[in-house]
Amino acid sequence: MNASSKNDTGADSGEHETNLATIPLLETIRRRGRVWRDLASQYGVTNPDPPWKVNLEATCDALSAEACALPLLERRSEEDELSASLYANVPFPERQLLALAHSMIKRGLVDEKELASRMKQVHDRLISA
Amino acid sequence: MAKKHTEDEHGHRPPAPMVDEISDFEVLEMAVRELAIEKGLFSADDHRRWTEYVHTLGPLPAARLVAKAWVNPAYKKMAVTDGVKASLEVGVDWINDMPTHFGTPSDYCNLRVLEDTPKLKHVVVCTLCSCYPRPILGQSPEWYRTPNYRRRLVRWPRQVLAEFGLQLPPDVEIRVADSNQKTRYIVLPVRPAGTEGWTEEQLAEIVTRDCLIGVAVPKPGVKANAKRPVHPAVHPVHHDH
Repeated sequence: MNASSKNDTGADSGEHETNLATIPLLETIRRRGRVWRDLASQYGVTNPDPPWKVNLEATCDALSAEACALPLLERRSEEDELSASLYANVPFPERQLLALAHSMIKRGLVDEKELASRMKQVHDRLISA
Repeated sequence: MAKKHTEDEHGHRPPAPMVDEISDFEVLEMAVRELAIEKGLFSADDHRRWTEYVHTLGPLPAARLVAKAWVNPAYKKMAVTDGVKASLEVGVDWINDMPTHFGTPSDYCNLRVLEDTPKLKHVVVCTLCSCYPRPILGQSPEWYRTPNYRRRLVRWPRQVLAEFGLQLPPDVEIRVADSNQKTRYIVLPVRPAGTEGWTEEQLAEIVTRDCLIGVAVPKPGVKANAKRPVHPAVHPVHHDH
């Protein structure tokens, strides 16, 4: 199921504007982050999608259906705008992830500093195993 | 049924290549998800169910095996002692059929069914690559193949299960089964309360893929392919626009 693609049409009512100001943390990730396309090629992996893509989809679904915090149509509309602007050079699904984080920060659902700090914790945890 | 084993192969073929590098994007995805869970926007179990939902439809042969074992004590005994024989009754022949009819054929043909009790929980992993009982459980989920799951489950099973939304009381022992060349595992979970008098078909519907791997437990009303309930947010967010 790709819940987001079903509802693409008419996603943007034009009633709200996406905040397109850059977010330093996400800019750093955009510049520095290694995308799946490159990693897969380097390691000889043929899976077209990164393992985290399924989690990203579920997060988007849960944020809409469970929390009503970020409705599907709004998120998709913003993802489209951000994909055509700030994250235009980032491949899918990395740009979907950046757009989701962007939308969440701009709405105050997560704080940029808090997210940066959590990323460090997650990274430390992953390299400890 | 055993064929010559070569240590370095660990299975039918050398393990598929993996990306053994942590990217900023992988970390970002986990950080976003964890914060959303901590803020109460959704639960880890909600998330796991959405993840499962998008990848499975309809009862798997393994779910039918479990349901049959729940209603038939003699079959249950056979399943626990001879998983290969029990598989025949749900249409899976590990010895004579091509293992999956999709993916890579292989020579693994030993299925073990791990029976949970109220004080014992099993969970399955493949620490070395991504061995999975595909004939009876379909393709493995992507998270099953990640170093994150494979490495951490054996060290911190309780913590990893909690990340899936499964919080076990301290007095429940957790056993991690490591799949290998010849042997694959599925979990036979405890039949949940509230399912008395159910038919095999009804029971099979609540034995979802994740229950069979062991990262979730069956619950009445929770089906892999059921439409997820939409309910009012606990902490609704008000939009200005």
